[in-house]
Amino acid sequence: MATTTATLALSSVDLLSDELALSTTCTLTKTTTATGVEDTTGLNRKKITSTAKGTASGQVTLYTADDFAAIPYLYIKNLATTAGHRIYVYDDTTTGDPIQFQLDAGDWGFIPMHGDKTYSAYASNNPTSIEFMVIGQDQ
Amino acid sequence: MATTTAAVTLTSDLLSDNMSVSASTTCMKAGTTADGLDMMEYGYIDIVTGDQFDLLGSDDSTGSLGNPVSGVMANKANKVYIKNHSTDETYYVSIMLDAQAIGKLYGGDWMFIPWSATDDDKDIEITASGGTNKICYALFHQGKTLVAS
Repeated sequence: MATTTATLALSSVDLLSDELALSTTCTLTKTTTATGVEDTTGLNRKKITSTAKGTASGQVTLYTADDFAAIPYLYIKNLATTAGHRIYVYDDTTTGDPIQFQLDAGDWGFIPMHGDKTYSAYASNNPTSIEFMVIGQDQ
Repeated sequence: MATTTAAVTLTSDLLSDNMSVSASTTCMKAGTTADGLDMMEYGYIDIVTGDQFDLLGSDDSTGSLGNPVSGVMANKANKVYIKNHSTDETYYVSIMLDAQAIGKLYGGDWMFIPWSATDDDKDIEITASGGTNKICYALFHQGKTLVAS
């Protein structure tokens, strides 16, 4: 069985009056079991060239609905270095394509998803590079 | 300015070679790389089954849990951390943004997201399943509108 872990560290020495040092680790497992997940899309790096929602050309599909069994874990990072160069991640399954996340330059996110929605991304600037990976259990 | 760093490391042996992916970001205010987020809210609470609660409210009304986190300034660089501290692996919480499911945290799982609070409806909502779930959450932000008593 594979062992996949995700560790988060939140730290600051000057946000609070005392040092902030929060660290947590979770092992990615198949739903309701202690067995580790076995599949991944691998790490992807792509250029987003679309600057509008619903413009399929130039958008990047991060995850396709039901591609993995619940729970697929999504890691995303905006590789831009200029503030304001944002990546918009939206739900391409639900009517109206609601935006779920906005990542400014350098931002990253880690999201255990329900897995039943397709997520796509467009950007404020053409091109904007994104790095992403889904880890879970194929079905 | 405060300097707050969020770092993630993903490691696995599920590939033919070991995988290790790391990312780190300094949490900045919107539209700048020179001024860090300087405010924080932190909570550790039980979420009972049966109802959907506002964990973090994006408008000026107090959330259902009675927490003081409200009025987060729209379109700013809010960052949210949520962890499910339940030890039963069948317990989970669903995380929603404006009634749209965005996450599902089983016992031990965590998430870290930039919170796109684009309008008053973009509350972060939570529903517990399996039993009472113990949740830890943190919000890093750059200011909010206080509610007059």
